[in-house]
Amino acid sequence: MTSPATPTVPEGAIAPRKPTDWKSPEMQRRIRRRYGAETRFKLLGLAAVTISAGFLAFLLITMSWNGFGGFLQTRIELPVNLATSSALIDSATLKAPDAKTKLSNAGLDGVVAEAATKAYGVNGAELVSESAWTELRDAIIADPTLLDKPTTLSLPISSDLAEALKGEGTPELLAAAKQVKAKLSRGFNSGFLTQSDATDPTQVGIWGAFKGSLLTMFVTIILAFPIGVLSAVYLEEYAPRNRWTDLIEVSINNLAAVPSIIFGLLGLAVFLNFMGMPRSAPLVGGLTLALMTMPVIVIAGRNAIKSVPPSIRDAALGVGASRVQVVFHHVLPLALPGILTGTIIGMARALGETAPLLMIGMRAFIATPPSGISEPASVLPVQIFLWSDEVSRGFVEKTSAAIIVLLVFLLAMNGIAIYLRNRFETRW
Amino acid sequence: MTDTSTLKMTARDVSVYYGAKQAIDKVSIDVTTENVTAFIGPSGCGKSTFLRTLNRMNDTIPSCRMTGKIELDSEDIYASGMDVVQLRARVGMVFQKPNPFPKSIYENVAYGPRIHGLASGKSDMDAIVEKSLRRAGLWDEVKDRLTESGTALSGGQQQRLCIARAIAVSPEVILMDEPCSALDPIATAKIEELIHELRGRYAIVIVTHNMQQAARVSQRTAFFHLGNLVEYGVTSEIFTNPREEKTKDYITGRYG
Repeated sequence: MTSPATPTVPEGAIAPRKPTDWKSPEMQRRIRRRYGAETRFKLLGLAAVTISAGFLAFLLITMSWNGFGGFLQTRIELPVNLATSSALIDSATLKAPDAKTKLSNAGLDGVVAEAATKAYGVNGAELVSESAWTELRDAIIADPTLLDKPTTLSLPISSDLAEALKGEGTPELLAAAKQVKAKLSRGFNSGFLTQSDATDPTQVGIWGAFKGSLLTMFVTIILAFPIGVLSAVYLEEYAPRNRWTDLIEVSINNLAAVPSIIFGLLGLAVFLNFMGMPRSAPLVGGLTLALMTMPVIVIAGRNAIKSVPPSIRDAALGVGASRVQVVFHHVLPLALPGILTGTIIGMARALGETAPLLMIGMRAFIATPPSGISEPASVLPVQIFLWSDEVSRGFVEKTSAAIIVLLVFLLAMNGIAIYLRNRFETRW
Repeated sequence: MTDTSTLKMTARDVSVYYGAKQAIDKVSIDVTTENVTAFIGPSGCGKSTFLRTLNRMNDTIPSCRMTGKIELDSEDIYASGMDVVQLRARVGMVFQKPNPFPKSIYENVAYGPRIHGLASGKSDMDAIVEKSLRRAGLWDEVKDRLTESGTALSGGQQQRLCIARAIAVSPEVILMDEPCSALDPIATAKIEELIHELRGRYAIVIVTHNMQQAARVSQRTAFFHLGNLVEYGVTSEIFTNPREEKTKDYITGRYG
């Protein structure tokens, strides 16, 4: 080997360079420009963060502001005297096993209307909620002595009065609202969390939709998680690299980008029309959303599995672990935090999804919470969509309140995901 | 060249291809239990590839193909009846970069025996773990913190943990793929010392870039160049009196 010869340059071919003057005005300008660029970039970044945080804060504040009222209920004091009323109830009825049904047919709504007219004049009956008698019924069952003595109950107001209190409605109602103001009290509306959809905005509740969402999410995760993770494992660890797997990979990536309403059409065509599953049921909703969530889980799962260092696989293979053992003992536990993150992103998207569920009939008016996955149900986002479409002004704050419930549900889900992720991460 | 009574593995006319590219051309080598065999050669000469054919780790590379015959105790390891998983338990491996499992030190060593059902109970497993860690010269350093993560150890300790993990399944052969290339001189010295102690109990094959290391730890040396086995013989002879011009050039530092 010959040592590399130093290249010979003829003298004078390259003019001798002056030493760099680091203090020259040109250099100073360059430094100032560099500082300027850094400052501008920092400010731009800060502005971007501020704008997005501002929008989020604006959304949250307006939602809380509007929705706060949705959790509250205005009640009106109403003196009731069952002893002198038109309803005929004796204490024997109360002892019967079907006391509730009997009481429901005993004309208690008449009693309430009568008492209201007596207390607040001609328009009195319009001030009290149409379903206020159910509270009277429950009060009687709880305390049978009410039958014989006058008492004062606090009953929910009607939606007309609620609107009149906000300054809308007929002049008579507005006057009545002014008159009864002293008799009103405002409190937490537990009914909003325990009841289901209704036509009267003061009577609506979120429980039916909430339970529908829970059941739908349950079906979704039960299907999408195992299928998604197993597909990811198979594609990443087992499948040979050939044209078929490339095709599958492209299809899955495309599937994740398909607009959600297309999945709704698919669910309508396959699950309802072809397989004859029940309409509006969480089962079908869950299946449809599982189709939508699965590609997200597969993509996240494959990325998480890909990021497990190959040296861990080598190590396990090197001590004689089989491929299944390598996957289940080493690769999956290490990939699990990433898979969970992807799953939660997919589930959060599914939870907020409205369009595909409209296609499979989950927009029906459902006044009773579903008792199983094949019962008709609604889900939170669809309920929000339906309420936002209502004419009655009472639904405005209910819509916001339902949005708050949905956001809290989402936050809780994310919280669980973060907890699980940290738990699995600290294990290794 | 070697006493056949201790012959552990034989390779005959082994060629390895990555797709159309030939990485190893007709290599024949004998591995014995009493002698440490070192593979030396410049980067990309195929010594690691050849090492990985000895426990069929190359099977995990889809484009990799081999011809020829490799026998472990006169049994063809590429025969259709050979169980690869069991083969890898019998022919253990230590990798270039220490790669302990992200689990406790105890679990790292116990994993192999557990999946092969080698321990009959908790106390038996404890004994296997202790014995393996002792043989790997790590026991005194980690005996009080067996539940700590294996990844929390220093590089040299991690590599000895990997050796303990390989020993724990009682292999017959241990393949070491440049086990010291990521370690400092003190950790390297410890590993070399360990190889001395393990010699005779296990057949050891070590791939190394470092010719001094080959000279220190091995009794047999194979010199690879461009996929060919240039020379294979007693280490002291290869280093003092190589038969081939290429070997001489390499060990005197002319290229590599």
